Amino acid sequence: MPSFAYRKCTNLAEAFKLLKEDDRAVPLAGGTDLTVGIRGGKFRVGALIDIKDIPELNILLADRDGITIGAAVSLNRIISFGPIRENVPILAEACHCIGTYSVRNRATLSGNICNASPAADAAPPLYCLEARVNIAGPRKKRTVSIEAFFTGPGQTVLQQGELVTSVLIPRPYPAGKGVYLKGSRTGSVDLATVGVAVQRRGNEVRIALGAVAPTPVRAGSVENAVNKNGETDWAAAARLVRDDISPITDLRGSREYRYHLAEVLVRRGLEQVMEG
Amino acid sequence: MSKNVTINFSVNGERETRVVEADLSLLTFIREQLNLTGTKEGCAVGECGACIVLLDGNPANSCLVLAAELDGKELLTIEGLARNGELDRVQKAFIDHAAFQCGYCTPGMIMSARALLERNPSPTDADIDEALSGNLCRCGAYQEIREAVKSCSRHNGEGRIE
Ligand SMILES: Cc1cc2nc3c(=O)[nH]c(=O)nc-3n(C[C@H](O)[C@H](O)[C@H](O)COP(=O)(O)OP(=O)(O)OC[C@H]3O[C@@H](n4cnc5c(N)ncnc54)[C@H](O)[C@@H]3O)c2cc1C
Ligand code: FES
Ligand code: FES
Repeated sequence: MPSFAYRKCTNLAEAFKLLKEDDRAVPLAGGTDLTVGIRGGKFRVGALIDIKDIPELNILLADRDGITIGAAVSLNRIISFGPIRENVPILAEACHCIGTYSVRNRATLSGNICNASPAADAAPPLYCLEARVNIAGPRKKRTVSIEAFFTGPGQTVLQQGELVTSVLIPRPYPAGKGVYLKGSRTGSVDLATVGVAVQRRGNEVRIALGAVAPTPVRAGSVENAVNKNGETDWAAAARLVRDDISPITDLRGSREYRYHLAEVLVRRGLEQVMEG
Repeated sequence: MSKNVTINFSVNGERETRVVEADLSLLTFIREQLNLTGTKEGCAVGECGACIVLLDGNPANSCLVLAAELDGKELLTIEGLARNGELDRVQKAFIDHAAFQCGYCTPGMIMSARALLERNPSPTDADIDEALSGNLCRCGAYQEIREAVKSCSRHNGEGRIE
């Protein structure tokens, strides 16, 4: 007897109806987290509601509001989308760090944030770009900032029956360089031990980190030192990141090592985007 | 909601209709119900690429896909490459370059390489490494594999793949 049911949807109304019918029904996008999680016993689900064929979720467009990335768009499509490469290359760079080519053919950006791993590689750049998450439910739509979206490890503001429909990268796009630096155990496929996004915006900088707290976090202390107090000693600024994070020890690294790595990567990021 | 799903799809050019259990993986379906055992299971968690097949021309780790998701799609497996008993160019190139030892990774490697050459007939080394980033070879034949794929590049004046 199969352990769960499956239904493919072709419109949003149908998806909302099916998600409501069974409180153990969950949306299925690329399935790269879900299938592994279900098989490993991490998730127990009653039904998978396949949202990939819903046309509205497949949009990828740049207009006067910014860049809208539909929830069913694969990471490979995001990485090769001209307006993203030109205006916000940091996002393409971070998406490229996720898994492998074939995984990125199916994995989505929305799946990455809805799975809400503190180490989700797409999250730190979205924090720096002040992305907005568009959410829809059976009755109403709402938009939340990416920082308000994450509430804990594996947890988001989404309520049962709600879907992320798209993520918006708002204009104005940052004038200045951005980098995503991923510290991991191997050069190939691995989750981040620490992930750091550093994005310059004119003379200011935005910094966010993954895998060092229950959710991705902004490095407010470092940003303040640089943006408000004019700190240009990047090593000194980077040291302040210790006040912004609360890492734990796990198989990818000890708490102390994560503090160290976070500081090193923030310093390197500042050097790369603020100089030259 | 049904736990059995009817799927219409094509496999290696042949149209098929089947009823599958909702939680069946595409990999198990291919091997145990379509009896196409060229596609291999290595890790079953998306890391090794031994199970890579093409869905509508795009490489997918079949261990991460449900058989139910095959509805409306074209599936191409390693068995679908040869024409009238003749191996396709990428398969021949792997043989000519001795691009394997045990051969377990080979079907997945060839499917990834096929898709690469379709979307980019003249790949650079970097393009090849990117396209094959999800294919592990425990025998370490990477150098020969890259050479085999490169030999199929249009840059070599050998024309396009069939
Ligand atoms: C081999 C391998 C390597 C990986 N490497 C990395 C890595 O380096 N870095 C990294 O960050 N991740 C990595 N991952 C994890 C995974 O690929 C990503 O998190 C991916 O972006 C998830 O997207 P998906 O579309 O596959 O999500 P799914 O598995 O389909 O869904 C993930 C979760 O989000 C929910 N969901 C999906 N879409 C929506 C929606 N629109 N609205 C509401 N809920 C939704 C699902 O119900 C589920 O709970 C890896 C996975 C594999 C298999
Ligand atoms: S068996 Fe699918 S990636 Fe290893
Ligand atoms: S030839 Fe043995 S795994 Fe690649």
